Amino acid sequence: MRELGGEISSERRARMVARGGAPEYRDPELYARVEAIFRRVLDSRDHDALLVPELLDDADEYALQLRLRYASHRKVIGPFLLFVKRTVLLPLNRWLYEYSLENFRRQQRVNRLLFACIEELAIENAALRRDLEGRTPDRANRPA
Amino acid sequence: MKLACVIHRFGTDFAGGSEGHCRGIALRLAERHDVTIVTTCAKDHISWQNEYPEGESMAGPLTVIRFPVVRMRSMHRFADISDVVFQGGAADDEEEQWFRENGPEAPALLDFLRERGGRFDRVLFWSFRYYQTFFGLPLVADRSVLVPTAEADPVVRMRASRRFFPRAAAFLFLTPEEQELVTEQSDGPLGPSAIIGSGLEPAAPAGGAPDRLVALGVRTPFVLYLGRIDPNKGCETLVRHFLRYSGDAQRDVQLVMAGPVNMPLPEHPLVKALGFVDEGIREALLSTASVLVVPSLFESLSLALLEGWNYGVPALVNARCAVLKGQSVRANGGLYYSNYDEFARELSFLLDHDALARELGRQGRAYVDREYRWPHVMDKVERFLEATGVSATAAGSGASRGSRAAR
Repeated sequence: MRELGGEISSERRARMVARGGAPEYRDPELYARVEAIFRRVLDSRDHDALLVPELLDDADEYALQLRLRYASHRKVIGPFLLFVKRTVLLPLNRWLYEYSLENFRRQQRVNRLLFACIEELAIENAALRRDLEGRTPDRANRPA
Repeated sequence: MKLACVIHRFGTDFAGGSEGHCRGIALRLAERHDVTIVTTCAKDHISWQNEYPEGESMAGPLTVIRFPVVRMRSMHRFADISDVVFQGGAADDEEEQWFRENGPEAPALLDFLRERGGRFDRVLFWSFRYYQTFFGLPLVADRSVLVPTAEADPVVRMRASRRFFPRAAAFLFLTPEEQELVTEQSDGPLGPSAIIGSGLEPAAPAGGAPDRLVALGVRTPFVLYLGRIDPNKGCETLVRHFLRYSGDAQRDVQLVMAGPVNMPLPEHPLVKALGFVDEGIREALLSTASVLVVPSLFESLSLALLEGWNYGVPALVNARCAVLKGQSVRANGGLYYSNYDEFARELSFLLDHDALARELGRQGRAYVDREYRWPHVMDKVERFLEATGVSATAAGSGASRGSRAAR
């Protein structure tokens, strides 16, 4: 299985290079590292538990509202308008609503995946920075 | 022991899924115990329409008590509440409403558990996601055994689910992956548990009726998909991958799909949907398939995969489902893919390397022999029920919470 996995990855790299992908992919080792990062995102990360949405001032402001919510500010005729929307207009437009909804769901999956990729790169960057700082002698202890 | 098995629907019409699992376990428990099935009148898992007669009946050694469903499921309402809840940040009452909308809503079943649940030594509940388990288990929590059939989908991550799991007195899991998932998601420590899997009878030696396959237009070699043909089972992606593969590889290999069709399928000479098939056809398919493909993203245990191995068929499974990958790795009975490239290359590998593919199938069968034969499964269930402090003399007095040593 592992051997087969290596061959598949090699073929993918060759195809990417042939199609004009990033020239850095000519280096098999570099490509393998890049693929490993994205695989971590796809295979191991929980896309529902991400840091960026947690840091936002109001995550709801950035979230796709999948569900159609009916509301009216009119006190008297509001309930009647809502009734008409729910029972007459929504059934008529249900096909369009469901088509859009499916695409919104896809968009939401893409968004989460992108957030997860960015987070993985941020983690990678932070870990490298920490390693680098560990290797660099403290400036304060350097001879003048 | 006096045992109750609570399940959303029950009957001989449901071969697989949690219904088949419940029936298989209950029938075998009835060889030694007094077993009552507590269920609804529903037959259709989408609408929950009442089709079976209400009340008490016998199904072989089992007493079956059915309760009417008071509200058919509205798929629009269910989809709406699912969007709200799965998006995250839903209120507690919205999450609870999700379980109500998922159904089958049978309040009389809850009344029965409330009033008469104490008469059973143990009450076994199948599938945490359905109404009867989510609302019923807390009513008899002290004697409850939950068979969660949990999958790594958004339902298991709901706050309501996380709070629900610690309420069960004990657990029977289907795979180590399911146990790990529920343990991770639970808000508190879990009661004792055992991993039991599911049982299979040895494969029929004759191999069904291959001539009937020819009449159905099935040609060898073919790749077999068994089960409900549904986008939720990964079938849309499977068909897309397969058609692309057929074009890329220029191979005359059919994808044969056997199971009820719940999605539009393309008119293509290499995609053969047979719909629901009888046992003879099923055996013939399993006896002649070159590869069994399991594309599902969410599983708590794949019976189709075990059935394939039961017939020595090598598997190609979706690696994004931890359960499928785990089963495949433990059995060393197949390959797993997580994208089209891997799907295509591994499918070609299995089709081109007959001896290796058969070896994988043999290893899969050995795994089924080792872990998934009914005597072995029932031995684990019986030992677990005994170890969790249930004794025949406890009938009517309520079972004590068991020892964790059974883990």
